[in-house]
Amino acid sequence: MSSHSLAVAVGPPKVKDVPKLKDWLENVDKTRIPRMGGSKIIMNYLVTEGFKDAAEKFSKESGLPLAGTEISASLEQRIKIRDAIHEGKIMVAKDLVDQLHPQMLQNDPLLLFKMQQQHLIELIREKRVEEVLSFAQKELAYRVEGNSDILTELERTLALLAFDNPANSPFGDLLHVSHRQKVASDVNAAILEQDGAESTVSSLVVALHMLLWAQDELDKKKVKYPKMTDIASASIMPPK
Amino acid sequence: METKKSTCEDRLRLLYPAVDESETPLPRAWSQKDKFLFIGLSQNNLRVHYKGTGKNTNKDAASVRATHPIPAACGVYYFEVKIVSKGRDGYMGVGLSAQGVDMNRLPGWDKQSFGYHGDDGHSFSSSGTGQPYGPTFTTGDVIGCGVNLLDNSCFYTKNGQNLGIAFPNLPPNLYPTVGLQTPGEVVDANFGQQPFMFDIESMIEDLRSRTKRTIEHFPVDDAQGEFQSTLHKITLTYLLHHGYSETANAFAKSTDQSFTESLGSVHNRQRIQRSVLSGRIEEAIELTREFYPGFLERNRELLFELKCRQFVEMIVQLTPVRNSVKGSQSNENDTECMEVEESREGGLMTNSDINLQRIVDFGTELCEFEKTLKDPDGKLKRIRFEACALLAYPDPSQSPMSYLLSPSEREPVCAALNSAVLESLGQPLRPPLEVALAHCKQLVKLMAKHGLGASAFADLDSILN
Repeated sequence: MSSHSLAVAVGPPKVKDVPKLKDWLENVDKTRIPRMGGSKIIMNYLVTEGFKDAAEKFSKESGLPLAGTEISASLEQRIKIRDAIHEGKIMVAKDLVDQLHPQMLQNDPLLLFKMQQQHLIELIREKRVEEVLSFAQKELAYRVEGNSDILTELERTLALLAFDNPANSPFGDLLHVSHRQKVASDVNAAILEQDGAESTVSSLVVALHMLLWAQDELDKKKVKYPKMTDIASASIMPPK
Repeated sequence: METKKSTCEDRLRLLYPAVDESETPLPRAWSQKDKFLFIGLSQNNLRVHYKGTGKNTNKDAASVRATHPIPAACGVYYFEVKIVSKGRDGYMGVGLSAQGVDMNRLPGWDKQSFGYHGDDGHSFSSSGTGQPYGPTFTTGDVIGCGVNLLDNSCFYTKNGQNLGIAFPNLPPNLYPTVGLQTPGEVVDANFGQQPFMFDIESMIEDLRSRTKRTIEHFPVDDAQGEFQSTLHKITLTYLLHHGYSETANAFAKSTDQSFTESLGSVHNRQRIQRSVLSGRIEEAIELTREFYPGFLERNRELLFELKCRQFVEMIVQLTPVRNSVKGSQSNENDTECMEVEESREGGLMTNSDINLQRIVDFGTELCEFEKTLKDPDGKLKRIRFEACALLAYPDPSQSPMSYLLSPSEREPVCAALNSAVLESLGQPLRPPLEVALAHCKQLVKLMAKHGLGASAFADLDSILN
């Protein structure tokens, strides 16, 4: 049924209060996180990321079972691979990956590049300049075509050669131990996915992603709220 | 409460578990106040009938809104209307409207009003002119109206079949609305109290898993490995905070991190916490005195709280337990666990007069102790009072204070003691991980308040449990 009279305007939506930092922190304080809940997140993280030693000790100290993704048959290999990457033995790690899942790196050029880049970084760290150049030319030059992200990363990496003290250069982050850890974590997740693991992401990562996602959603909606600016220290800043 | 009401509430709660009804009640019936004169309500305000004269003009149109707007925390909201009778002409509209929209109209004709009409099958999006949308509907049909609060779109169903999106950009805080225009028209609403014809659960599940994937794959800038190192730090600080000394040591080695507190001190805190979490409060007090001399003397309020818990533990020991409490009786060794399962259930108190006398004496001691303490907001008094009140019941496990008997109630006093020790060592009161999780819970609540429907599927508790 149609109507032809004028549409009626309705008042603007109610303005919502911006939460005050003090009240927010009080509410955060009041929110109890059950000890079991926090510990389960940590256990899941240790197991998913293959921190075997820590996971076993945590099981002893907390009484929680070693449950989760470790059922994945590849746990032992994943640990070996991760340790090799952490020690900078990238080609050893690559061989282990190829043994475990022969097609995986071929089918994931970005991941393969990340490993090769890390290998370059290790060569640069050991000042094996000739090997750096020959590896870059043989293995990497042809990949760069048509991929500006990879090109940028490769340039950043080779730029390290131009510095007497690369660790203090603008590209010093590449030499940091966390760069190895990042590669190791990416490789680990890719293997878990190959194994058909239910989730390749640990619940710790999901929980922190949820925090960042929620802040992002609120930002997009232009909502003002106390924002956590640094998770490691749990710093919450007043709304602005 | 009547059984009938509680089952229907359960159905709605299952559909919309993220909704906090103390803040945003769900629509459960039509409003007796928010309706036009020509609308009559019956059957618990679920049946709507037309009681005007219906002279065939637009002035005859009459609508009614539900009692409450649709909470964003529903994620997906859905209700169904069964056409009991199309009356004289079947001019009926099912839809949504904002508070304040004229009720002497059919849904869809005005700004912030949206409707699907039975006589022509058109959809009306804040306009007197409809657009062809779906089939017409009449007596015996069931029309469903769904709102996707993630993308703020609205779809309809007819007899369980999805008709597709009718309105793509809905404003927030809309009310379920139905409008009638000619004599004899009668419709019944189902706000979720009864099973729906349409399978809304699948749609909810689909959006839940999509949101889960969005969160899992939320892009985090980790070019320099900052996120990686955040994960390492937040894990290590958590382990250290709670005194998991061996795990912390192993993890710190694997991730190349260092920490300032000595391993021995972490281990000492671990032993103290184990004692508290196992209910051996006296032992915890002794250990604290040994490891941190003078600490409890400087924190007498904390000592008082510990003693109150000790008092509760004495009662716990007198109360027979059906399922044994894991870890409570085990002796001290390194493999003893720090997590306590809740498994205590009540029973009758055994009347051991000697033990009872000991408890009463201890209670009197607590009263004397309390008098020597500053207690500006009455917190200590409340703690002592609740603990002592347990004794007033022949079966404490059936008393209003029975929650105190649960092993999980050792956690707050354990955390208070541990935090105070850490504070005296210059460490934060709470590990960053727990602050981050609590902050995240507040964020999700705030999202719901601001109409962000995705908050419905950001379920941190499912990760924690």
